[in-house]
Amino acid sequence: MIPTLVAILSLAVLGIPIALNTDRSSRGPMIVGTSFLYGSGTMFLVLLTLSIVHIRWTLISVSVAALAIFCAAAVIGRRQPTTDNRQRPVRPHVFDVLTILTIAGYTLFATLVPLWEWDFWAIWGLKAKAFLEIGAIDWRFLESHWNTFLHPDYPLLVPLNFDFVALAAGWSDRWLGLLFGAWGMALLLILRAIAARELTPFYASLLTFGLAGIALSTNIGLAEGALIAFGSAGVLFVRTGMLDDDTASWRNGALLLGFAANCKNEGMALLVAVTIAVLLVSWFRGLAVSREGDDSARARNRATARLLSLIPAYALAAPWLVLRATHALATDIAGGALVRIMTRLPHAHQILGYLAAKLYKPWFWVAILAGILIAPAAARRREAFVLLVTAIQLAFFAGAYFATPHDIHWHVLTSWPRLTAQIAVPITFVVFLMLANSLRGGEDAPHAEVGSDQ
Amino acid sequence: MTLRRVLTILCLAAIVALSIGARLLQLVFVDRAPLARALDGFYDRQWPQYPHFLADLREHTQPGDTIAVIVPAMGWDDGYSYAYYRASYFLTGREVLPLVAPDNRRLQRNFLAAKYIAVFGVRLRMPADVIWQGDQGALLRLRR
Repeated sequence: MIPTLVAILSLAVLGIPIALNTDRSSRGPMIVGTSFLYGSGTMFLVLLTLSIVHIRWTLISVSVAALAIFCAAAVIGRRQPTTDNRQRPVRPHVFDVLTILTIAGYTLFATLVPLWEWDFWAIWGLKAKAFLEIGAIDWRFLESHWNTFLHPDYPLLVPLNFDFVALAAGWSDRWLGLLFGAWGMALLLILRAIAARELTPFYASLLTFGLAGIALSTNIGLAEGALIAFGSAGVLFVRTGMLDDDTASWRNGALLLGFAANCKNEGMALLVAVTIAVLLVSWFRGLAVSREGDDSARARNRATARLLSLIPAYALAAPWLVLRATHALATDIAGGALVRIMTRLPHAHQILGYLAAKLYKPWFWVAILAGILIAPAAARRREAFVLLVTAIQLAFFAGAYFATPHDIHWHVLTSWPRLTAQIAVPITFVVFLMLANSLRGGEDAPHAEVGSDQ
Repeated sequence: MTLRRVLTILCLAAIVALSIGARLLQLVFVDRAPLARALDGFYDRQWPQYPHFLADLREHTQPGDTIAVIVPAMGWDDGYSYAYYRASYFLTGREVLPLVAPDNRRLQRNFLAAKYIAVFGVRLRMPADVIWQGDQGALLRLRR
């Protein structure tokens, strides 16, 4: 266990200068959370790059590459001017103790026994173990037509993180579970820091405690935990970037969404959903502003600038997309999708009805929907970005079921709860925020920190 | 207090109550042994000895070897998919060849192409050299 903890800690240390380069004012829970996520994402890039240039993964080769990145990021960071501290100090509240206990319970759960999920030893863990055998990505293994069951087209951030931990601490089916605790904790630290900017300590800690139940994926061994962490944090950073015109939040959002795209194909879909939502929200807000007499060209420029801010996300997603295309890795949903969609369209009401019937935690989603309806219209407009991202991503998920080559019932039963969990954090965050702010009568005062209400 | 305010408070309470990870929270304070027993080897319950058999196979084979697995259930959904995937995980570095396709077609060519045939819980009535034998099965090399 200790060597695995040291490996995870080293990922967090690797990420510190990168997190500070992204947002110089980052501190407290925010810097801890973002540092681990950047360390995890950077380690994926290190192992991917070493594999591409045919340098065998060893603890030495990986450490040298990581150290070079660490030093380069630290040198660049020292040259950057300090910026204003936009973050609010996170004042602790009794609910934070419950969040910590939830994380502790989750970590105990994740490490209770060797990782038990079917998809761990048939997909994510299998790839990591196979790559570790040769100290590189085993393209022959991924290309083999006997191995299509392991979804060769899925991106590799999670297996390569398993590989780094195994290089540093040895392969352990059990202690790899600690990584899931680290991804979950990183997300909750970020959520707590963002919430502290916009809510009182009581509401911010209550929200984080509630989010702990949905941000910590119980599908241990699968890529869900990492995807929820990178994707949710990315969406909420872009939201902050849009609301505050904050370039550091845009950078954080774009980079984390880029890493989310390297966790699962749904992460790539999330990036597209974010791009569409940014475009739509910027366009409609631009129209509203131009009606009020502002220069419409300036509004258009703002929309373009916002889209350009997402370029780092696509730059991070691109290498895997290129590699999987050049290696012609098998993908199950894409081939012949149009025909299947057309065949199933007449049965759309049945398919959507089945999705509704099999919704995981239906009352939770009813409460979220009720919250959207109850919230003031101004708050809904303000949070249009996250609401749109969630709606678009849901549409993508439904589309995937129309296109699936598998039996729809089987596919829905085995994946729908996981997919809905992937999008639950950002929408819960903003719905809670809208409601809590409306109680305080402060929905029109973005990021208005109020005094402690303890 | 307005109706909207009441609804807002109820909705906030509902969202928090329906989100919190009560079971995760409880785990810190309860005996976790029953849960550990339930999770450990959940997918191995049909053949609890199979993972040990595969671990032994790994000891007796080399990276690059091709291995095909024969188990008591040779239907894809009856247990063969489990046996094949599980073998792939335990025997990384080797190439595990399936003998049954997802549509239950027999893949005779893989049977002939594999360097070794691993038999678990069954006997193979074909001329073969025994490379290794355990309580639950054996690693065989077909005589050609």
